[in-house]
Amino acid sequence: MATSALRPALRQAFAAPTARSVLPALRYQSLAQRSPILTQSSGFQTSSRRQILPPLPQKIQGTVNDAAVHPEPHPQHGSYHWSMERLVSIGILPLTVAPFAAGSLSPLLDGAFISLLIVHTYMGFGNIITDYLPKWRVPRWRMFFDYANLLAVFVVGWGWYEFETNDVGLTEAVKRIWRASSEKKSI
Amino acid sequence: MALRIASRRLALAQQCAPKMLRRGMATPASAIEHTKEPLSATSESLSASRPPIPESKTTTVKEPHFDPQAKTKTFHIYRWNPDEPTSKPKMQSYTLDLNKTGPMMLDALIRIKNEVDPTLTFRRSCREGICGSCAMNIDGVNTLACLCRIPTETTKESRIYPLPHTYVVKDLVPDLTQFYKQYKSIKPYLQRDTPPEDGRENRQSKADRRKLDGLYECILCACCSTSCPSYWWNSEEYLGPAVLLQSYRWIADSRDERTAERKDMFQNSMSLYRCHTILNCSRTCPKGLNPALAIAEIKKSMAVA
Repeated sequence: MATSALRPALRQAFAAPTARSVLPALRYQSLAQRSPILTQSSGFQTSSRRQILPPLPQKIQGTVNDAAVHPEPHPQHGSYHWSMERLVSIGILPLTVAPFAAGSLSPLLDGAFISLLIVHTYMGFGNIITDYLPKWRVPRWRMFFDYANLLAVFVVGWGWYEFETNDVGLTEAVKRIWRASSEKKSI
Repeated sequence: MALRIASRRLALAQQCAPKMLRRGMATPASAIEHTKEPLSATSESLSASRPPIPESKTTTVKEPHFDPQAKTKTFHIYRWNPDEPTSKPKMQSYTLDLNKTGPMMLDALIRIKNEVDPTLTFRRSCREGICGSCAMNIDGVNTLACLCRIPTETTKESRIYPLPHTYVVKDLVPDLTQFYKQYKSIKPYLQRDTPPEDGRENRQSKADRRKLDGLYECILCACCSTSCPSYWWNSEEYLGPAVLLQSYRWIADSRDERTAERKDMFQNSMSLYRCHTILNCSRTCPKGLNPALAIAEIKKSMAVA
Protein backbone atom coordinates (compact mmCIF):
# COMPACT_ATOMS: atom_id res chain seq x y z
CA MET A 1 0.00 0.00 0.00
CA ALA A 2 1.27 3.45 -0.79
CA THR A 3 -0.04 4.77 2.49
CA SER A 4 2.24 2.51 4.51
CA ALA A 5 5.21 4.61 3.50
CA LEU A 6 3.69 7.69 5.05
CA ARG A 7 4.13 8.86 8.57
CA PRO A 8 1.52 7.31 10.91
CA ALA A 9 -0.17 10.62 11.68
CA LEU A 10 -0.57 11.48 8.03
CA ARG A 11 -1.75 7.97 7.27
CA GLN A 12 -4.44 8.24 9.89
CA ALA A 13 -5.52 11.60 8.61
CA PHE A 14 -5.67 10.23 5.09
CA ALA A 15 -7.57 7.10 6.01
CA ALA A 16 -10.02 8.74 8.40
CA PRO A 17 -12.46 10.41 5.96
CA THR A 18 -12.68 7.35 3.70
CA ALA A 19 -12.93 4.64 6.33
CA ARG A 20 -16.30 3.57 7.62
CA SER A 21 -14.92 0.58 9.51
CA VAL A 22 -12.54 0.32 12.42
CA LEU A 23 -10.93 -2.88 11.11
CA PRO A 24 -7.89 -2.19 8.95
CA ALA A 25 -8.70 -4.97 6.48
CA LEU A 26 -12.12 -3.52 5.76
CA ARG A 27 -10.63 -0.06 5.58
CA TYR A 28 -8.40 -1.08 2.68
CA GLN A 29 -11.31 -2.78 1.02
CA SER A 30 -13.34 0.39 1.18
CA LEU A 31 -10.41 2.25 -0.38
CA ALA A 32 -10.24 -0.22 -3.23
CA GLN A 33 -13.96 -0.20 -3.82
CA ARG A 34 -14.15 3.50 -4.40
CA SER A 35 -14.60 4.72 -7.96
CA PRO A 36 -11.44 5.66 -9.87
CA ILE A 37 -12.48 9.31 -10.03
CA LEU A 38 -12.55 9.64 -6.27
CA THR A 39 -9.14 7.99 -5.99
CA GLN A 40 -7.78 10.53 -8.44
CA SER A 41 -9.18 13.55 -6.67
CA SER A 42 -8.18 12.57 -3.14
CA GLY A 43 -4.77 13.97 -2.44
CA PHE A 44 -2.33 13.55 0.37
CA GLN A 45 -2.95 17.13 1.37
CA THR A 46 -4.55 17.37 4.78
CA SER A 47 -4.85 21.14 5.04
CA SER A 48 -7.51 22.98 3.09
CA ARG A 49 -6.47 24.06 -0.36
CA ARG A 50 -5.84 27.76 -0.89
CA GLN A 51 -5.89 28.96 -4.43
CA ILE A 52 -3.73 31.91 -5.40
CA LEU A 53 -6.15 33.61 -7.77
CA PRO A 54 -9.45 31.71 -7.56
CA PRO A 55 -11.96 32.42 -10.32
CA LEU A 56 -14.38 35.18 -9.41
CA PRO A 57 -18.13 34.93 -9.86
CA GLN A 58 -19.19 35.72 -13.38
CA LYS A 59 -19.58 39.42 -14.03
CA ILE A 60 -20.64 40.69 -17.43
CA GLN A 61 -19.38 44.13 -18.44
CA GLY A 62 -22.35 46.06 -19.77
CA THR A 63 -25.10 43.98 -21.32
CA VAL A 64 -24.62 40.64 -23.02
CA ASN A 65 -25.01 42.31 -26.39
CA ASP A 66 -22.20 44.85 -25.92
CA ALA A 67 -18.92 44.06 -27.61
CA ALA A 68 -15.89 43.46 -25.41
CA VAL A 69 -13.77 46.60 -25.02
CA HIS A 70 -10.18 46.68 -26.26
CA PRO A 71 -7.54 48.84 -24.55
CA GLU A 72 -6.10 51.92 -26.22
CA PRO A 73 -3.66 50.94 -28.97
CA HIS A 74 0.02 51.39 -28.06
CA PRO A 75 2.51 49.82 -30.48
CA GLN A 76 5.13 49.91 -27.69
CA HIS A 77 3.04 47.31 -25.88
CA GLY A 78 1.98 45.56 -29.06
CA SER A 79 3.86 44.90 -32.25
CA TYR A 80 7.03 46.87 -31.33
CA HIS A 81 7.35 44.93 -28.11
CA TRP A 82 6.84 41.60 -29.86
CA SER A 83 9.31 42.47 -32.64
CA MET A 84 11.86 43.54 -30.04
CA GLU A 85 11.48 40.22 -28.24
CA ARG A 86 12.09 38.29 -31.46
CA LEU A 87 15.07 40.42 -32.45
CA VAL A 88 16.73 40.00 -29.06
CA SER A 89 16.17 36.23 -29.19
CA ILE A 90 17.65 36.04 -32.67
CA GLY A 91 20.59 38.24 -31.61
CA ILE A 92 21.46 36.01 -28.66
CA LEU A 93 21.83 32.89 -30.81
CA PRO A 94 25.06 33.81 -32.68
CA LEU A 95 26.50 35.47 -29.59
CA THR A 96 26.34 32.22 -27.62
CA VAL A 97 28.46 30.42 -30.20
CA ALA A 98 30.70 33.24 -31.48
CA PRO A 99 33.24 33.47 -28.61
CA PHE A 100 33.93 29.74 -28.70
CA ALA A 101 33.98 29.51 -32.47
CA ALA A 102 36.29 32.48 -32.83
CA GLY A 103 38.44 31.39 -29.93
CA SER A 104 39.09 34.96 -28.92
CA LEU A 105 37.88 36.66 -25.78
CA SER A 106 36.53 40.08 -26.34
CA PRO A 107 35.05 41.97 -23.41
CA LEU A 108 32.86 43.86 -25.89
CA LEU A 109 31.37 40.61 -27.20
CA ASP A 110 30.88 39.41 -23.64
CA GLY A 111 29.20 42.66 -22.73
CA ALA A 112 26.87 42.55 -25.72
CA PHE A 113 25.91 38.96 -24.92
CA ILE A 114 25.22 39.70 -21.28
CA SER A 115 23.20 42.85 -21.95
CA LEU A 116 21.07 41.03 -24.52
CA LEU A 117 20.61 38.17 -22.06
CA ILE A 118 19.44 40.62 -19.40
CA VAL A 119 16.98 42.28 -21.79
CA HIS A 120 15.78 38.83 -22.84
CA THR A 121 15.13 37.68 -19.27
CA TYR A 122 13.53 41.01 -18.41
CA MET A 123 11.04 40.61 -21.25
CA GLY A 124 10.47 36.97 -20.39
CA PHE A 125 9.70 37.72 -16.75
CA GLY A 126 7.58 40.66 -17.90
CA ASN A 127 5.48 38.24 -19.96
CA ILE A 128 5.01 35.95 -16.97
CA ILE A 129 3.92 38.89 -14.81
CA THR A 130 1.47 40.07 -17.46
CA ASP A 131 0.11 36.55 -17.77
CA TYR A 132 -0.46 35.76 -14.13
CA LEU A 133 -1.11 39.13 -12.48
CA PRO A 134 -3.96 40.83 -14.32
CA LYS A 135 -3.91 44.58 -13.84
CA TRP A 136 -7.67 44.81 -13.36
CA ARG A 137 -7.56 42.28 -10.54
CA VAL A 138 -4.35 42.77 -8.56
CA PRO A 139 -3.10 46.24 -9.59
CA ARG A 140 -0.77 46.68 -6.60
CA TRP A 141 0.92 43.30 -6.85
CA ARG A 142 1.26 43.87 -10.56
CA MET A 143 2.99 47.20 -10.02
CA PHE A 144 5.21 45.70 -7.31
CA PHE A 145 6.37 42.85 -9.55
CA ASP A 146 6.84 45.12 -12.54
CA TYR A 147 9.15 47.38 -10.53
CA ALA A 148 10.88 44.39 -8.92
CA ASN A 149 11.55 43.08 -12.42
CA LEU A 150 13.03 46.41 -13.43
CA LEU A 151 15.10 46.55 -10.26
CA ALA A 152 16.42 43.05 -10.97
CA VAL A 153 17.72 44.29 -14.33
CA PHE A 154 19.96 46.84 -12.61
CA VAL A 155 21.04 44.52 -9.78
CA VAL A 156 21.93 41.72 -12.18
CA GLY A 157 23.56 44.19 -14.56
CA TRP A 158 25.70 45.56 -11.78
CA GLY A 159 26.65 42.01 -10.74
CA TRP A 160 27.71 41.14 -14.26
CA TYR A 161 29.68 44.40 -14.51
CA GLU A 162 31.60 43.45 -11.39
CA PHE A 163 32.20 39.94 -12.72
CA GLU A 164 33.43 41.21 -16.07
CA THR A 165 35.70 43.93 -14.70
CA ASN A 166 37.10 42.31 -11.55
CA ASP A 167 36.92 38.62 -12.52
CA VAL A 168 37.48 36.52 -15.64
CA GLY A 169 34.22 37.25 -17.43
CA LEU A 170 31.42 35.07 -18.71
CA THR A 171 33.09 33.27 -21.61
CA GLU A 172 36.21 32.44 -19.67
CA ALA A 173 34.12 31.23 -16.70
CA VAL A 174 32.13 28.88 -18.94
CA LYS A 175 35.36 27.59 -20.47
CA ARG A 176 36.84 26.88 -17.06
CA ILE A 177 33.71 25.15 -15.77
CA TRP A 178 33.61 23.09 -18.96
CA ARG A 179 37.10 21.77 -18.36
CA ALA A 180 36.85 21.62 -14.58
CA SER A 181 37.03 17.83 -14.27
CA SER A 182 39.95 17.35 -16.65
CA GLU A 183 41.95 20.06 -14.88
CA LYS A 184 41.26 18.41 -11.57
CA LYS A 185 42.66 15.16 -12.90
CA SER A 186 45.83 16.85 -14.18
CA ILE A 187 46.39 18.44 -10.77
CA MET B 1 -63.88 10.85 16.24
CA ALA B 2 -67.56 10.16 16.57
CA LEU B 3 -67.50 8.07 13.42
CA ARG B 4 -64.66 5.97 14.78
CA ILE B 5 -66.50 5.24 17.98
CA ALA B 6 -69.60 4.32 16.03
CA SER B 7 -67.75 1.87 13.79
CA ARG B 8 -66.13 0.26 16.85
CA ARG B 9 -69.49 -0.22 18.44
CA LEU B 10 -70.69 -1.85 15.24
CA ALA B 11 -67.76 -4.24 15.23
CA LEU B 12 -68.45 -5.12 18.84
CA ALA B 13 -72.10 -5.79 18.00
CA GLN B 14 -71.03 -8.10 15.18
CA GLN B 15 -68.79 -10.09 17.47
CA CYS B 16 -71.57 -10.46 20.01
CA ALA B 17 -74.05 -11.60 17.33
CA PRO B 18 -74.85 -15.32 17.09
CA LYS B 19 -72.60 -17.41 14.89
CA MET B 20 -75.28 -17.93 12.25
CA LEU B 21 -75.52 -14.23 11.44
CA ARG B 22 -71.76 -13.60 11.41
CA ARG B 23 -69.96 -13.65 8.11
CA GLY B 24 -66.28 -14.44 8.14
CA MET B 25 -63.64 -13.66 5.50
CA ALA B 26 -63.42 -17.16 4.05
CA THR B 27 -67.06 -17.93 3.38
CA PRO B 28 -67.68 -20.73 0.86
CA ALA B 29 -69.41 -19.72 -2.39
CA SER B 30 -72.41 -21.91 -1.67
CA ALA B 31 -72.96 -20.04 1.55
CA ILE B 32 -73.04 -16.70 -0.28
CA GLU B 33 -75.37 -17.90 -3.02
CA HIS B 34 -78.54 -17.52 -1.00
CA THR B 35 -77.42 -14.22 0.53
CA LYS B 36 -76.89 -12.53 -2.84
CA GLU B 37 -79.32 -9.70 -3.20
CA PRO B 38 -81.45 -9.69 -6.39
CA LEU B 39 -79.85 -6.58 -7.91
CA SER B 40 -76.37 -8.10 -7.88
CA ALA B 41 -77.64 -11.37 -9.23
CA THR B 42 -79.19 -9.77 -12.30
CA SER B 43 -76.18 -7.63 -13.06
CA GLU B 44 -73.90 -10.65 -12.78
CA SER B 45 -76.00 -12.73 -15.09
CA LEU B 46 -76.14 -9.94 -17.67
CA SER B 47 -72.42 -9.12 -17.73
CA ALA B 48 -70.45 -11.22 -20.20
CA SER B 49 -67.57 -12.33 -18.04
CA ARG B 50 -65.02 -14.05 -20.25
CA PRO B 51 -63.14 -17.05 -18.99
CA PRO B 52 -59.36 -16.42 -18.48
CA ILE B 53 -57.10 -17.25 -21.42
CA PRO B 54 -55.15 -20.44 -20.65
CA GLU B 55 -51.43 -19.97 -20.09
CA SER B 56 -50.58 -22.14 -23.09
CA LYS B 57 -51.96 -19.39 -25.32
CA THR B 58 -50.22 -16.42 -23.67
CA THR B 59 -46.66 -15.11 -23.71
CA THR B 60 -44.60 -15.03 -20.60
CA VAL B 61 -42.85 -11.87 -19.37
CA LYS B 62 -39.49 -12.96 -18.00
CA GLU B 63 -36.83 -11.18 -16.03
CA PRO B 64 -34.57 -9.18 -18.41
CA HIS B 65 -31.82 -11.70 -19.06
CA PHE B 66 -28.13 -10.89 -19.31
CA ASP B 67 -26.99 -10.56 -22.89
CA PRO B 68 -23.53 -12.12 -23.24
CA GLN B 69 -22.96 -10.12 -26.42
CA ALA B 70 -23.58 -6.80 -24.63
CA LYS B 71 -20.73 -4.29 -24.77
CA THR B 72 -21.39 -2.37 -21.61
CA LYS B 73 -19.46 0.85 -21.31
CA THR B 74 -19.46 3.28 -18.43
CA PHE B 75 -19.75 7.02 -18.97
CA HIS B 76 -18.88 9.41 -16.17
CA ILE B 77 -20.63 12.70 -16.75
CA TYR B 78 -20.21 16.00 -14.94
CA ARG B 79 -23.42 17.07 -13.28
CA TRP B 80 -24.29 20.36 -11.67
CA ASN B 81 -27.75 21.72 -11.15
CA PRO B 82 -28.24 25.50 -10.73
CA ASP B 83 -31.49 24.80 -8.85
CA GLU B 84 -29.35 23.44 -6.01
CA PRO B 85 -26.61 26.07 -5.81
CA THR B 86 -25.29 24.81 -2.49
CA SER B 87 -24.57 21.28 -3.71
CA LYS B 88 -21.20 20.75 -5.33
CA PRO B 89 -20.73 19.51 -8.89
CA LYS B 90 -20.53 15.73 -9.04
CA MET B 91 -19.70 13.00 -11.50
CA GLN B 92 -22.53 10.66 -12.37
CA SER B 93 -21.97 7.27 -13.98
CA TYR B 94 -24.16 5.75 -16.64
CA THR B 95 -23.76 2.36 -18.30
CA LEU B 96 -24.90 1.74 -21.84
CA ASP B 97 -24.82 -1.28 -24.13
CA LEU B 98 -22.80 -0.08 -27.10
CA ASN B 99 -24.64 -2.51 -29.40
CA LYS B 100 -27.81 -0.53 -28.86
CA THR B 101 -26.11 2.88 -29.08
CA GLY B 102 -25.01 4.88 -32.09
CA PRO B 103 -21.30 5.24 -32.83
CA MET B 104 -20.81 8.80 -31.60
CA MET B 105 -20.63 10.33 -28.14
CA LEU B 106 -23.66 12.47 -28.92
CA ASP B 107 -25.67 9.29 -29.61
CA ALA B 108 -24.71 8.00 -26.18
CA LEU B 109 -25.68 11.29 -24.54
CA ILE B 110 -29.01 11.40 -26.34
CA ARG B 111 -29.68 7.79 -25.37
CA ILE B 112 -28.87 8.51 -21.74
CA LYS B 113 -31.23 11.49 -21.81
CA ASN B 114 -34.01 9.55 -23.54
CA GLU B 115 -33.81 6.28 -21.66
CA VAL B 116 -31.90 6.66 -18.43
CA ASP B 117 -31.90 10.17 -17.02
CA PRO B 118 -34.03 12.93 -18.57
CA THR B 119 -32.46 15.54 -16.29
CA LEU B 120 -29.10 15.36 -18.10
CA THR B 121 -28.60 18.66 -19.90
CA PHE B 122 -26.44 19.40 -22.93
CA ARG B 123 -26.57 21.45 -26.13
CA ARG B 124 -26.92 19.77 -29.48
CA SER B 125 -28.45 20.69 -32.75
CA CYS B 126 -27.16 19.44 -36.10
CA ARG B 127 -25.47 16.17 -34.96
CA GLU B 128 -23.00 16.42 -37.88
CA GLY B 129 -20.35 18.97 -36.90
CA ILE B 130 -21.83 22.04 -38.55
CA CYS B 131 -23.42 23.98 -35.71
CA GLY B 132 -20.80 23.64 -32.97
CA SER B 133 -23.38 23.35 -30.19
CA CYS B 134 -22.20 20.07 -28.67
CA ALA B 135 -18.65 21.19 -27.85
CA MET B 136 -17.52 19.54 -24.62
CA ASN B 137 -14.50 17.96 -22.99
CA ILE B 138 -14.54 14.24 -23.76
CA ASP B 139 -11.79 12.06 -22.29
CA GLY B 140 -9.65 15.12 -21.73
CA VAL B 141 -9.97 16.60 -25.21
CA ASN B 142 -12.21 19.46 -26.23
CA THR B 143 -14.23 18.27 -29.17
CA LEU B 144 -17.69 18.09 -30.65
CA ALA B 145 -19.64 15.17 -29.21
CA CYS B 146 -21.19 14.56 -32.63
CA LEU B 147 -17.77 14.11 -34.26
CA CYS B 148 -16.22 12.04 -31.46
CA ARG B 149 -16.46 8.27 -31.79
CA ILE B 150 -17.09 6.24 -28.64
CA PRO B 151 -13.94 4.18 -28.02
CA THR B 152 -15.11 0.60 -28.46
CA GLU B 153 -12.96 -0.96 -25.75
CA THR B 154 -15.38 -1.36 -22.88
CA THR B 155 -12.74 -1.59 -20.16
CA LYS B 156 -11.95 2.10 -20.54
CA GLU B 157 -14.49 4.42 -19.01
CA SER B 158 -15.33 7.67 -20.74
CA ARG B 159 -15.41 10.96 -18.90
CA ILE B 160 -17.40 13.90 -20.18
CA TYR B 161 -17.03 17.41 -18.78
CA PRO B 162 -18.20 20.82 -20.00
CA LEU B 163 -15.64 23.01 -21.76
CA PRO B 164 -12.85 23.78 -19.28
CA HIS B 165 -12.60 27.15 -17.52
CA THR B 166 -16.06 28.25 -18.52
CA TYR B 167 -18.89 29.28 -16.26
CA VAL B 168 -21.31 26.35 -16.26
CA VAL B 169 -24.98 27.02 -16.79
CA LYS B 170 -26.02 23.44 -16.12
CA ASP B 171 -24.41 20.00 -16.47
CA LEU B 172 -22.60 20.17 -19.82
CA VAL B 173 -23.81 23.60 -20.89
CA PRO B 174 -21.14 26.33 -20.69
CA ASP B 175 -21.78 30.07 -20.62
CA LEU B 176 -20.15 31.53 -23.73
CA THR B 177 -21.25 35.14 -23.21
CA GLN B 178 -17.70 36.50 -23.00
CA PHE B 179 -16.71 34.51 -26.07
CA TYR B 180 -19.51 36.05 -28.13
CA LYS B 181 -18.83 39.54 -26.78
CA GLN B 182 -15.24 39.20 -27.90
CA TYR B 183 -16.36 37.90 -31.27
CA LYS B 184 -18.54 40.96 -31.67
CA SER B 185 -15.64 43.27 -30.75
CA ILE B 186 -13.59 42.26 -33.83
CA LYS B 187 -16.44 43.33 -36.14
CA PRO B 188 -16.82 40.07 -38.03
CA TYR B 189 -18.38 41.51 -41.16
CA LEU B 190 -17.26 43.11 -44.40
CA GLN B 191 -16.35 46.77 -43.94
CA ARG B 192 -16.03 48.88 -47.07
CA ASP B 193 -16.12 52.59 -47.73
CA THR B 194 -16.11 52.49 -51.53
CA PRO B 195 -18.70 50.75 -53.66
CA PRO B 196 -17.40 48.28 -56.26
CA GLU B 197 -16.36 49.90 -59.57
CA ASP B 198 -19.04 48.37 -61.74
CA GLY B 199 -21.74 48.83 -59.12
CA ARG B 200 -22.31 45.10 -58.75
CA GLU B 201 -21.02 42.56 -56.20
CA ASN B 202 -17.77 42.86 -54.27
CA ARG B 203 -15.80 40.39 -56.31
CA GLN B 204 -12.40 38.85 -55.68
CA SER B 205 -10.02 36.69 -57.66
CA LYS B 206 -9.75 32.95 -57.19
CA ALA B 207 -6.30 33.38 -55.63
CA ASP B 208 -7.69 35.86 -53.09
CA ARG B 209 -10.56 33.54 -52.32
CA ARG B 210 -8.12 30.70 -51.74
CA LYS B 211 -6.52 32.71 -48.92
CA LEU B 212 -9.73 32.32 -46.93
CA ASP B 213 -9.67 28.52 -47.08
CA GLY B 214 -8.95 27.11 -43.65
CA LEU B 215 -10.37 30.26 -42.06
CA TYR B 216 -13.98 30.51 -43.13
CA GLU B 217 -14.80 26.94 -42.01
CA CYS B 218 -14.61 27.88 -38.33
CA ILE B 219 -17.95 27.22 -36.64
CA LEU B 220 -17.14 29.04 -33.39
CA CYS B 221 -17.58 26.00 -31.18
CA ALA B 222 -15.06 27.51 -28.68
CA CYS B 223 -13.14 24.21 -28.41
CA CYS B 224 -9.83 25.95 -29.20
CA SER B 225 -10.30 29.01 -27.01
CA THR B 226 -11.24 26.96 -23.97
CA SER B 227 -8.27 24.63 -24.51
CA CYS B 228 -5.79 27.53 -24.43
CA PRO B 229 -4.08 28.01 -21.03
CA SER B 230 -3.48 31.65 -21.90
CA TYR B 231 -7.20 32.08 -22.45
CA TRP B 232 -7.91 30.28 -19.18
CA TRP B 233 -5.94 32.86 -17.20
CA ASN B 234 -6.86 35.97 -19.19
CA SER B 235 -10.21 35.37 -20.84
CA GLU B 236 -11.31 38.86 -19.76
CA GLU B 237 -8.75 40.56 -22.02
CA TYR B 238 -7.11 38.01 -24.31
CA LEU B 239 -9.30 37.29 -27.31
CA GLY B 240 -8.43 33.62 -27.70
CA PRO B 241 -7.64 31.54 -30.78
CA ALA B 242 -11.14 31.24 -32.22
CA VAL B 243 -11.81 34.99 -32.24
CA LEU B 244 -8.31 35.77 -33.54
CA LEU B 245 -8.78 33.25 -36.35
CA GLN B 246 -12.02 34.97 -37.26
CA SER B 247 -10.27 38.34 -37.11
CA TYR B 248 -7.60 37.07 -39.48
CA ARG B 249 -10.32 35.80 -41.77
CA TRP B 250 -11.34 39.47 -42.26
CA ILE B 251 -7.79 40.80 -42.29
CA ALA B 252 -6.93 38.35 -45.07
CA ASP B 253 -10.05 39.17 -47.05
CA SER B 254 -9.14 41.18 -50.15
CA ARG B 255 -12.54 42.88 -50.21
CA ASP B 256 -12.26 44.34 -46.73
CA GLU B 257 -10.97 47.92 -46.50
CA ARG B 258 -10.43 48.27 -42.75
CA THR B 259 -7.41 45.98 -42.46
CA ALA B 260 -5.28 48.67 -40.79
CA GLU B 261 -7.98 49.39 -38.20
CA ARG B 262 -8.43 45.72 -37.51
CA LYS B 263 -4.70 45.33 -36.87
CA ASP B 264 -4.51 48.52 -34.83
CA MET B 265 -7.08 47.01 -32.46
CA PHE B 266 -4.45 44.48 -31.35
CA GLN B 267 -1.73 47.03 -30.49
CA ASN B 268 -1.73 46.22 -26.79
CA SER B 269 -0.22 43.59 -24.60
CA MET B 270 -3.41 41.65 -23.95
CA SER B 271 -5.70 41.20 -26.96
CA LEU B 272 -3.32 39.33 -29.27
CA TYR B 273 0.09 39.01 -27.65
CA ARG B 274 -0.99 36.73 -24.82
CA CYS B 275 -0.65 33.95 -27.41
CA HIS B 276 2.53 32.07 -26.51
CA THR B 277 2.23 29.50 -29.31
CA ILE B 278 1.12 26.75 -26.96
CA LEU B 279 -0.65 25.18 -29.97
CA ASN B 280 -3.41 23.48 -27.98
CA CYS B 281 -5.83 25.23 -30.32
CA SER B 282 -4.52 23.56 -33.47
CA ARG B 283 -4.35 20.21 -31.75
CA THR B 284 -7.91 20.25 -30.46
CA CYS B 285 -9.82 21.86 -33.35
CA PRO B 286 -12.56 19.37 -34.29
CA LYS B 287 -12.71 20.84 -37.79
CA GLY B 288 -8.99 20.41 -38.41
CA LEU B 289 -8.27 24.13 -38.72
CA ASN B 290 -5.11 25.86 -37.55
CA PRO B 291 -5.85 28.91 -35.38
CA ALA B 292 -2.21 29.12 -34.25
CA LEU B 293 -1.13 29.68 -37.85
CA ALA B 294 -3.67 32.47 -38.25
CA ILE B 295 -2.42 34.15 -35.07
CA ALA B 296 1.17 33.82 -36.26
CA GLU B 297 0.15 35.42 -39.57
CA ILE B 298 -1.40 38.36 -37.74
CA LYS B 299 1.74 38.80 -35.62
CA LYS B 300 3.97 38.58 -38.67
CA SER B 301 1.97 41.09 -40.68
CA MET B 302 1.95 43.49 -37.74
CA ALA B 303 5.69 43.14 -37.12
CA VAL B 304 6.62 43.80 -40.74
CA ALA B 305 4.19 46.66 -41.19
